[in-house]
Amino acid sequence: MPYPEELKQLIKTVESTRVERVERKKKNEEVPFLSLDQRAEMLKYHPDVKEEGRRELMVGPSKGYRIAHEMADLLEARSRVDPAKIDLSKIDYETDVLVIGGGGAGTAAALYAKNNGAKVIIATKLRHGDANTMMAEGGIQAATKGHKDSPYFHYLDVMGGGHFKNVPELVETLVNKAPDAIKWLESLGCGFSKDADGTLRTIHGGGTSRKRMHYAADITGAEIMRTIRDEARNYPNDIHVIEFSPAVELILNDKGHCAGAVLYNLETEEYIIVKAKAVVMATGGCGRLHIQGFMTTNHYGATADGIVMGYRAGVGICFLHTVQYHPTGIVFPEQAEGILITEKFRGSGANLVNIDGQQFVNEREPRDVEASAIIKECIVNGKGIPTPTGKLGIWLDSPMIDMLQGEGTVEREFPGKFILYKRFGIDISKEPMLIYPTLHYQNGGLDFKNTGDTSVPGLFVGGEVGGGIHGENRLMGNSLLDIMVYGRIAGASAAAYIKEKYEDGALTLEHVVKYNKEADEAGVPEDRVAPMILPDYTDPRIRERQLTAHYVGTLR
Amino acid sequence: MSISYYPGCTLKTKAKNLETSALAAMAELGIEVEELPRWNCCGAVYSLADDDLIHIIAPVRDLIRVKERGHDTVITLCSMCYNTLARANDLMKHDEEKRKTINMFMDEEPDYAGEVRVVHLLDYLRDDYGWDKLKEKVKVPLAGLTVGPYYGCTLLRPREVALDRPDKPTLFNEFMAALGATVVDFPMGTECCGSYQVLGNPDAALKVSYDILNDANQHNIEALALTCPLCDYNLGRRQNLMRDKFEGVPEIPVYYFTQLLAVALGLSPEVCHFELNRESAIGLLKDKNFLKEVPA
Amino acid sequence: MSTTNEGSGAVAAKVEAKLIPIHVMGKRYEVPESLTIMKAIEYAGYKYIRGCGCRGGVCGACSTVYRKPGDYKIYTGLACQTVVEPEMYLTQLPFYPALRTTYEFSELEGKPEEIFELYPELFRCVACNACTKVCPMDVEVLDYISALKRGDIKAAAEISFDCIQCGLCASRCFAEMPQYHIAQLARRINGAYLTPRAEHLKTMVANIEAGRFAEGLNELKAMDTDTLKKTYQERELEPATAGDDWTPKDTRYL
Repeated sequence: MPYPEELKQLIKTVESTRVERVERKKKNEEVPFLSLDQRAEMLKYHPDVKEEGRRELMVGPSKGYRIAHEMADLLEARSRVDPAKIDLSKIDYETDVLVIGGGGAGTAAALYAKNNGAKVIIATKLRHGDANTMMAEGGIQAATKGHKDSPYFHYLDVMGGGHFKNVPELVETLVNKAPDAIKWLESLGCGFSKDADGTLRTIHGGGTSRKRMHYAADITGAEIMRTIRDEARNYPNDIHVIEFSPAVELILNDKGHCAGAVLYNLETEEYIIVKAKAVVMATGGCGRLHIQGFMTTNHYGATADGIVMGYRAGVGICFLHTVQYHPTGIVFPEQAEGILITEKFRGSGANLVNIDGQQFVNEREPRDVEASAIIKECIVNGKGIPTPTGKLGIWLDSPMIDMLQGEGTVEREFPGKFILYKRFGIDISKEPMLIYPTLHYQNGGLDFKNTGDTSVPGLFVGGEVGGGIHGENRLMGNSLLDIMVYGRIAGASAAAYIKEKYEDGALTLEHVVKYNKEADEAGVPEDRVAPMILPDYTDPRIRERQLTAHYVGTLR
Repeated sequence: MSISYYPGCTLKTKAKNLETSALAAMAELGIEVEELPRWNCCGAVYSLADDDLIHIIAPVRDLIRVKERGHDTVITLCSMCYNTLARANDLMKHDEEKRKTINMFMDEEPDYAGEVRVVHLLDYLRDDYGWDKLKEKVKVPLAGLTVGPYYGCTLLRPREVALDRPDKPTLFNEFMAALGATVVDFPMGTECCGSYQVLGNPDAALKVSYDILNDANQHNIEALALTCPLCDYNLGRRQNLMRDKFEGVPEIPVYYFTQLLAVALGLSPEVCHFELNRESAIGLLKDKNFLKEVPA
Repeated sequence: MSTTNEGSGAVAAKVEAKLIPIHVMGKRYEVPESLTIMKAIEYAGYKYIRGCGCRGGVCGACSTVYRKPGDYKIYTGLACQTVVEPEMYLTQLPFYPALRTTYEFSELEGKPEEIFELYPELFRCVACNACTKVCPMDVEVLDYISALKRGDIKAAAEISFDCIQCGLCASRCFAEMPQYHIAQLARRINGAYLTPRAEHLKTMVANIEAGRFAEGLNELKAMDTDTLKKTYQERELEPATAGDDWTPKDTRYL
């Protein structure tokens, strides 16, 4: 729906200060960046520091670690399957590499495992490509312009964004392999925005010291995803995709190596046994857990399944005490609630503005700082804009972009969002957008090395499910990069492992039995099973009438 | 500018030499045309063969694009495209019942009733531009070149869209004469080149094409001029195949009419893309000293 | 610090919201009038397996076909983006079979003929325009198919750029074409073969492989946190309005 009259009145205030703000922008007179001390002060308003939002894990390899209730609920839950009822002698599929997850990391892993001689199965919960990768808009970082940038500066930016807590080796590999990832995508025909001579166009993102954000209009993730998915589809004999069949439990062998997974066919409700010589976990993030009740930008399937499975199999977790809230999610119109507005809007010159039409933060601070500043402006300073649905938001002044870069820029550079708002009767080249932080990224995840290895031999990790690369806060453009760099590494490492280290053994789910027992002993309530697989958005009153849901579990 | 130009798909790929030479020539003649910003395949003539309205949709959509541009005339170069667009136009103009059905089916487009005039560059030059004015523009008369104007079928059939009388046409002859060439009529000049039979019955098509070449040769014709990429394929590109099959196949260079027009107007051979013709094509023009400059 | 914006994805039934009737696959449900089709279906009690993906209008999982009372037109939209209307009759089309050929992409040269050979059905198009009419992303599907028939791969790539591969075009095609697969091939060919490769990218990859930045990165890895923080804060920032040819004063680590 278009902006109602009361919001149109408030927009006039934004318009009254716009010309002056555009002039300042032209002269490079920005709101100063916060110092590290000021950043630390601002971060006190971040949802992560809310102690009542977390608790200590009662079971598993990272017992005692304080993380969000929503995540802890899943990690402590019992298995969805009764291990005693699974007959591991009846193997449905046997393959070299099983990739769990059909998003960007999983698909890159599958292609690289295949390139290194392995037969691959991709097991995915929804359709191949239905993943957060598809939704990433802004871009992909890589230091590709040698006259002003190098992996050195990229490394510094990543560490600064992550509060200097990141695992250095993971960051080093990320920044070193970044240009090659772009080159690979370019060779596959990914349509990055370029100048006529082939020079890749790059812009700033929050926390970057150099313009190194590469993009494909405002659908960078979708362009990458559809390109690599298309490539994977060229090899149906080597890469077998099983859709609507999420993995629900990893299978180990009697040597303690990862040896496959139990899949669950969502449509026929069968459990399927896949035996594999190596497994790549690439299940992505957890936005659909709605941590602390926040809205999310994430895909329908982002329910942290891989963390649950990996944790039960013995892999520790890290950095899950922090979650990334994207500063700019749509808060009105309600139909689009939670949808991400790419940072590229701010990179292209749009200010964040309060109800008085005033700026209160530089729009290119790292995400957690930016999100904290918006929350503070709304909740503490009382300068938020009230929406018709009873929420608060901040203006993202997109019309500035046309004034700075010429009429038509918003429509040309942000076609996806332009059309989205047009459907609601809002022209974002003329009217600003109402935004509020939205749950966006799982900074942490399973412990892993820069080779993709985990503490369980034969189990590799790629993409958002792994933790450590981004420390406590990820910079824009480093998640698409992460999945491309570490997806490829995980696939190649899995293929190499098969050739060099793989040992056959008897399949077992004993680790699941043990884990359930540990949960019993710790006194974890018995009302939960995990992984969650899909969230439930049924109207609560209807849900009360869906009686079977109470005894079949979370799926129904 | 009030004339839309409809190129046709083949002129963007295999018959680029038909388009580039024509555009250069028209510019030289001061005929201003604008390529339609949006167009689709004309539908191609064979699909009009039966009473199947769905095949009218494509050409009518192109005609609506012309109307949308606010133009009253669309110019074509390929005789197939001419034929298809003109026949669809004729139907929309005269068949009320079918017009109604098609307009109802294409309800996302404005209604159309044949308001646009479909012309071929040849009849445009005759009726709008004038042979006399064309003669004045000729800088390199093709004197001493004995040309056979090959009409083929689609400029002359069916009657509703014929540019000239089918039994004894003069249009192409007059055009070649205006360029200063020696024009020689030959009986097979209005026979079918073999057309799409080349796909279903290639041997039969080859025989038909051979008969045409042979007839031209017997009339001492040095070169053929034509208007259609499919005729060019059958009569020009398949000459070597004929040579494998039949005795005494003459080497006859085949030109698009627009290439000879461009040469006569003194334009650079570059615009003619002779590399897409038989090798003998540029050779003959060089021998006759018609070329303004010889590309490396 | 707490926030007031507790907006979980669950559809909170608002007492004040007006309920309107919609027909899901012919079955009537009353749903709040401001919801998207997707949220309305969930509100009604469905739990999605198919037909739901990114919930943000880019993945193509939730294409929906509907009609309105007294109107012969077929309407389409993405369930996650389209707001319900009273008495709409809808069904989702989560999947539609389409033929996709396989090819060794690195062996292509980027010629139109390669596309013609892989997808000869391209030439069955009669320009009926059903594809364009049904596209929920307003892509001019017929225009890119027409562009491809005349060999203009670049135009086809540009026109089809917003395609989310939902398959609705293929479901309505008179010529039984898989338009979206053909467009994908066109975009890849355009990206890899018709657009110049980035020279600076090649150079950077070669420099990294030659170990040019190893020393600098080792310095950074060995730094204690305080020194690292200082180095971070003192790093030179490329101004927002700088042109692409901007160069930093400190070139030691380039």
